[in-house]
Amino acid sequence: MNLTRVRAIVAKEVLEIRKNPLLLVTIFLPPILFLLLPLAILAAAGSTAGSVRIPPDQLARMRSISPALADISGIEFLQLLILQQFLTFFLMMPLLIPVSIAAYSIIGEKELKSLEPLLATPVRTAELLLGKGIAAVVPAILTTWVTYVLFLIGARLIVTSDVVYARLFDPMWLLAMILLAPLFALFAVNLGIIVSSRVNDVRVAQQMVGIIVLPVVLLGVGQTTGLVLLNSLTFIAGAFAMLLIDAAVLYIGARLFQRETILTQWK
Amino acid sequence: MIETHGLTKQFNGNLAVDDLSLSVKRGEIFALLGPNGAGKTTTVRMLACLIAPTRGDATVAGYQVGAQSNEIRGRIGILTESPGLYEKLSAEQNLNYFAQLYSLAPDAALKQVRRYLELLGLWTRRAEPVGGFSKGMKQKLAIARALLHEPDVVFLDEPTSALDPEAAKVVRDFVAELKGEGRTVFLCTHNLDEADRLADRIGVMKQKLIQVDTPENLRHKLYGRRVMIRARALDDAQVDSVRHFDFIRDLRRDGDHLSIALEDPNAMTPLIVARLVQVGAAIQQVTEEQHSLEEVYLNLIKTPTASLSRKTGEGEGGGDSK
Repeated sequence: MNLTRVRAIVAKEVLEIRKNPLLLVTIFLPPILFLLLPLAILAAAGSTAGSVRIPPDQLARMRSISPALADISGIEFLQLLILQQFLTFFLMMPLLIPVSIAAYSIIGEKELKSLEPLLATPVRTAELLLGKGIAAVVPAILTTWVTYVLFLIGARLIVTSDVVYARLFDPMWLLAMILLAPLFALFAVNLGIIVSSRVNDVRVAQQMVGIIVLPVVLLGVGQTTGLVLLNSLTFIAGAFAMLLIDAAVLYIGARLFQRETILTQWK
Repeated sequence: MIETHGLTKQFNGNLAVDDLSLSVKRGEIFALLGPNGAGKTTTVRMLACLIAPTRGDATVAGYQVGAQSNEIRGRIGILTESPGLYEKLSAEQNLNYFAQLYSLAPDAALKQVRRYLELLGLWTRRAEPVGGFSKGMKQKLAIARALLHEPDVVFLDEPTSALDPEAAKVVRDFVAELKGEGRTVFLCTHNLDEADRLADRIGVMKQKLIQVDTPENLRHKLYGRRVMIRARALDDAQVDSVRHFDFIRDLRRDGDHLSIALEDPNAMTPLIVARLVQVGAAIQQVTEEQHSLEEVYLNLIKTPTASLSRKTGEGEGGGDSK
């Protein structure tokens, strides 16, 4: 493994990302939405204080999850629901961002026909995959984390209840951000590579891979409706499952990313 | 510098390259000619270790294709059919990227990038995005990219295709300079004139390698060598005076023009001219008949491989009766 070459690939990928306004929009739009939307909804919920009536059974269920929530008011309960819902959606970012970067990277190389001269250099397949992977995963993780931190700061200004705000630091969510987000990003990159090997249009690739956010959406909906109970244990189990899935897609991606396959089978 | 033995490539049972055996010397410009789908690009890809041969073996720059692919990749430069440049990046950024992939030290990389950008007249445009370059400029930049690391062997796949005549000439002149630097150049082209002008030897292939030789020898093998003589008011007696030379393999007359097949025109033409002058022929012109490489190529391509050796054999020793 030649790290100079890996660094060169990462630097070139980042340079290309910076010179691609459409890709920059694709990268930065989801974090902006995921940051501003929940904060706006939280603020709106705060302004409706007093007029919110929470079904007693919902309130009882929430209180049963955590004794600390035993005395929360209706508005606090509502804010808590919103926070939990959007924290789940935060996990969509490490899925959406790397897919776009990987798709632009691979399909861009296909469009420019730059893969053949690139593969004729001494660069090894692992170096190429690692370089492209880092260039897609790192921005996604950093963006997710920065957005999360900004969300914590913004929520502090809006959420008045310390009990509710403390839920943002639940180990479950820290686990999700630190462990699940990178695993999701890795999964998305490899899926992006697999799909990009078969299609020649970035938008088609994005649409095809976009479906991977569906389980996260369902998770959020399930949590809100009480069908799914999220806790640290479920996140650890999820992380373990993601690790296995990552290994599988990495294997498939690496097999597709062989010189001969790229030059003779990629469409 | 390049040796192949029985190199064969099949794709899903379809034969792309069949039993290719050839040898290219250091410092030689070798041109591979063939119609579309003849297997030229597949051959280059095998030699550049981009795809693996189905059978056979090859060495490039002293290293074994397959077992020592990475060593080979570090010692070859390749210009692919399409320049394949990063259009949003500048010329300098494109070259810097490849300099790092070829593990050039930073100071060496700077020097090499500058050298080739200057050499190919792109230095003043170095900071501009490549997307705004003309086809000729892109092709020159792709050539610079292939040479940055000073490779021993350079593979050029259609280096002047889609270029205007002026840009094509710049590229051709540059390829000729590579030979002067002692590099081995393996050229795939459809441009027969280009091959004729640049190549030391030409290989004609159509899945199999049909013929390999110098452009001159290919012509001679196929058509033999003929001298054309034009004389004013040539008469039968004058023609008869040379007809008896036993080294003449064929003699045809068309008015004042004689077409004579000879094995060694350099040695034999003066004897014929001297005899004609001696018998009073007023010789106006003496030239050796030249067949274009296009004729040679088309003849080779249309000839079934199996019957080719028979045909070329006839070309060497045959001819019309005197």
